[in-house]
Amino acid sequence: MSLSRREFLKSSAAASAAAAIGMSVPAELQAAANQAEGDWRWDKAACRFCGTGCGIMMATKGGKIVAVKGDPAAPVNRGLNCIKGYFNAKIMYGADRLTQPLLRVDANGKFDKQGKFAPVSWERAFDEMEFHIKKALKASGPEGVGVFASGQYTVMEGYAAQKMMKAGFRSNAIDPNARHCMASAVVGFYQTFGIDEPSGCYDDIELTDTIISWGSNMAEMHPILWSRVTDRKLSDPERVKVINISTYRHRTSDLADEEIIFTPNTDLALWNYIAREIVYNNPEAIDWDFVKKHIVFCASPVNMGYGMRRSDEKSIKEGKYTALEMQTIDKEMKKVVSAAEAPALKPYGYKEGDVMVNENAGLKHWHISFEEYKKFLEPYTLDYVAKISKGNPDEDINEFKRKLQLLADLYIEKDRKVVSFWTMGMNQHTRGTWVNTLSYNVHFLLNKQAKPGSGAFSLTGQPSACGTAREVGTFCHRLPADMMVANPKHREITENRWKIPNGTLNPVGNQHIMKIHRDIEDGYIKFAWVNVCNPYQDTASASHWIKAAREMDNFIVTSDGYPGISAKVSDLILPSAMIYEKWGAYGNAERRTQHWRQQVLPVGNAMSDTWQWVELSKRFTVGDVWGAQPLRGDKSLPDVRQAAYAMGYTDNTTMYEILFANKEAKSYKIDLKSFPQAGYDNTECNGDTRDVVGSDGKVFKGYGFMIHEYLFEEYASFGRGHAHDLADFTTYHKVRGLKWPVVDGKETQWRFNTQYDPYAAKANKEAGTTNSHAFYGTLAKSLAQGDLMGITDKTQLGLANKAKIFARPYMDPPEIPDENYDTWLCTGRVLEHWHTGTMTMRVPELYRAVPEALCYMHPQDAKDKGLKQGGLAWVESRRGRVKARIETRGRNRPSRGLVFVPFFDEKVFINKVCADYTCPQSGQTDFKKCAVKIYQA
Amino acid sequence: MKLLSKVTVGLFTAALLFVGCGNDAKPTSQETVKPTISEESLGLRKTNLYAEEAETIGHQANYSTAVAGSGNMIKRAFQDAPPMIPHDIEGMLIITINDNQCTTCHMPEVAESMGATPLPSSHFTDFRPATSVNNEGRLTKNGKAIVNTTNVNMDDISIKSTGSHLAGSRFNCTLCHAPQSGDDLAVQNNFEPDFTNKDGASASSWSGTKLMEGLDTINGI
Repeated sequence: MSLSRREFLKSSAAASAAAAIGMSVPAELQAAANQAEGDWRWDKAACRFCGTGCGIMMATKGGKIVAVKGDPAAPVNRGLNCIKGYFNAKIMYGADRLTQPLLRVDANGKFDKQGKFAPVSWERAFDEMEFHIKKALKASGPEGVGVFASGQYTVMEGYAAQKMMKAGFRSNAIDPNARHCMASAVVGFYQTFGIDEPSGCYDDIELTDTIISWGSNMAEMHPILWSRVTDRKLSDPERVKVINISTYRHRTSDLADEEIIFTPNTDLALWNYIAREIVYNNPEAIDWDFVKKHIVFCASPVNMGYGMRRSDEKSIKEGKYTALEMQTIDKEMKKVVSAAEAPALKPYGYKEGDVMVNENAGLKHWHISFEEYKKFLEPYTLDYVAKISKGNPDEDINEFKRKLQLLADLYIEKDRKVVSFWTMGMNQHTRGTWVNTLSYNVHFLLNKQAKPGSGAFSLTGQPSACGTAREVGTFCHRLPADMMVANPKHREITENRWKIPNGTLNPVGNQHIMKIHRDIEDGYIKFAWVNVCNPYQDTASASHWIKAAREMDNFIVTSDGYPGISAKVSDLILPSAMIYEKWGAYGNAERRTQHWRQQVLPVGNAMSDTWQWVELSKRFTVGDVWGAQPLRGDKSLPDVRQAAYAMGYTDNTTMYEILFANKEAKSYKIDLKSFPQAGYDNTECNGDTRDVVGSDGKVFKGYGFMIHEYLFEEYASFGRGHAHDLADFTTYHKVRGLKWPVVDGKETQWRFNTQYDPYAAKANKEAGTTNSHAFYGTLAKSLAQGDLMGITDKTQLGLANKAKIFARPYMDPPEIPDENYDTWLCTGRVLEHWHTGTMTMRVPELYRAVPEALCYMHPQDAKDKGLKQGGLAWVESRRGRVKARIETRGRNRPSRGLVFVPFFDEKVFINKVCADYTCPQSGQTDFKKCAVKIYQA
Repeated sequence: MKLLSKVTVGLFTAALLFVGCGNDAKPTSQETVKPTISEESLGLRKTNLYAEEAETIGHQANYSTAVAGSGNMIKRAFQDAPPMIPHDIEGMLIITINDNQCTTCHMPEVAESMGATPLPSSHFTDFRPATSVNNEGRLTKNGKAIVNTTNVNMDDISIKSTGSHLAGSRFNCTLCHAPQSGDDLAVQNNFEPDFTNKDGASASSWSGTKLMEGLDTINGI
């Protein structure tokens, strides 16, 4: 420590800030505080939990975390955390932390899928993984090796995992739980802007007049953002309007001016209603100058199905699905057009009773004229939309219409700034991509997008869904910086950067997270590894997947801090270092990258996921993985070994030497005398005092180079100069995060806006235009021409710097309550628990706050079904049933006809009840609606 | 914890195993590894995972029925941790703009007389710099045009008293404070607090100079 605290306070700008605002800093108080916390070490870190991405201050003493406090310097949360944020202090100290690899064995110590678990060495664990990966590669090729990845990986972990999977195993079967959370938002971004991630930032909250929450319980799921909304609302209650649009009443309604309760899936109709109000009834509100310069209109096929299994898939043919399940799954092939959706589908040539034959046309879309878009909007009158979307049977239709009109009026009002926030309600949706794109339509027509205080803004669920899953590209179809495995140029850029032979990377990337589960059930994937997630608890139709894990011929590995359901159904469990036991970085929903240092040593023999991947890479050589490899559908990957030899590699060169301990990596030095490494543990690089016996049976002494910085900088090099720019590693350790793209040391507040985004300015300059915006993303920027029914002229027209407004109709979800299953079920989170509760159920304060997942229900429904407040009931769908206690007076207050049951509780395993239908374009599951019956247990 | 002792035994066994391992030999002592830990013993659900049977039910909450003001207090989990709610909150929620029942007892001017924990000074502090866009369109914080929302000097830290008005960002009490079920935990937690203030388990110390304590993580002060 070079400065005393007093010298620091005198010299630093922080002191002048304190002085400027009149904060008194008496010297004796300082000295006292100094003494009191003299043996504490404070450091900054990022919160482990949601996509808000708050900063925290964390104190350690004697190698243990002793306190967490708010960070007044953190721009996201300014000195405040939510209940989970504060209790980051305790998440690593649950008594049943995994401390040793555990393998299922028989009495002789040999692997036995039916055996109990035995503690084994890391060396034995890697022996088993090596053996079973080689077996899987032999049986099914690279597509037989899968990874359940995560939006909670650190940036470095995600990058290491993707590098070994895609360059090493040549498998694209790595897909994150972010698929369940953000995929529809991502495809929405790609289709609309040609590039991922939101254009706005959290400062929009303080700058706006109107906050509209669509399918997002921000008050519980993004609590700090909601505290900012609350602060804004209270600062000017007359001017600032807050509207909550949801399928049931929850805490976000409590501070809202209006609440709109809609029937599940009809958010599609609500957005189109607002657009129709603009186009038909308030055409003067359209900013034609903006629209003509920046926007094109598009359409896409409607008969795309629901992302369920098709009739020719192995497990369907083998009868692994019951007749009840097939009632829903059959709609994947064809469906009958209902009375509710018939008016919306009329412009596409359908009428009520028609059979729609479904074929997934993927992401195909084409140009249409504005007149065609207008024709598409025609059905969404107030009468039609109110009729199909009113979600509270006890609400008067005229009252509901009043609210819809008010909603449209607020959007349309000239000079009123509007932010639309959404999360899982719009993403977990069988038309999730559609509804995401519909949000931009409204903002574009009014020129209220990508401007201070205005914009449609997708909030991320997870702490690094944006940073690790999306920017790093830890998806089956992606590579870093928005590049795609299907694009030969993108593969070549990546191969060159990774110093691997051209032709190594697999161009087929279709094994998204539901496909991985289904491939395991079909017996195709033989090896799967769970990283930083809990897919056997958090995936819908869960009974199928836990059964497939246990009963099929495969080897499932789970790395985790605690034994969750995924660990329990695995064959090998690996003890992972948790969040503050390693160096890391997360990227939040406003594009802010935040780094932290290792605060304490991991428990027992736990090691980080980065270490686990790097150690695994030592077990595979060029000869093992870079020969010709078979793919499904008579495809194959070429033998690239000759090219590898030409690069100086031999058959015996390990993936470790090529991908992780190469010359470039070793240029990142250990420097324990300088910031940021000085004074902090670094288990992967230097080993640590635990002397953990590693993957080779010897004490692990560290890699000897700064692998965290290497992985981060190599990843960042993909995005620099390509609108994904990041600052350097050390800068992030000095500041409370920066919003990418970071160009010349400056963060970007409003993307695509020429005044704020250097890439938009550059795009305009290159095009010789002086437009206010440039939607410069490059994906799907050349399209054929047509009308709502299809393509009429295959000539490709470019749309450089333009964004898209899509015609996408209301359609029913694949399952709707009927006389047998008469109630909608929605699942999700509660404030006090994170996802499947693996961490938060082990924090006493959070456990005691909400020890059990309840079935939130309307009191009249309970009465009608003979159920008592606090009594147990079965919640049953076509897929299965669970028992839950009835709550009619809780924080969630559904209207009649809908119940909410959260998914954090292992004992209330609600994902056995939910259905695994997805948005066919994004692959994201719809956890928000299925049909159930509820009866006394 | 049964599980813990099993894992500890296993650890010991594994440690013995390492001694016998040669430098480059693959482990050959598989017979010393014993299947001791059942799947059911792991995690929070100890019942059959593959079928939903009668015994699989959640852990019913058993919140305090003590009336507010009866003098109960739950110790803070660590220095300046948000205190948990020791009394029955039936009928006190929901919090709306015009009705925040928590404040009727917990505002500092009445708290003592109501037998309630008073809201500390942090709740009457606005830490967010005023945000606007100036005439040139630049983003400003406390009236000053900025380049980045965070910087090395931390000269954007803003600490303003809100007087006697509860800070708007802290209006949602349930954001941090929750009632507590009195029953046993599913799993113990080994976190150990370290109170720097004598009354740290009962009162907030996060005010004055403490607000800036440790924020300079570059120089470690």
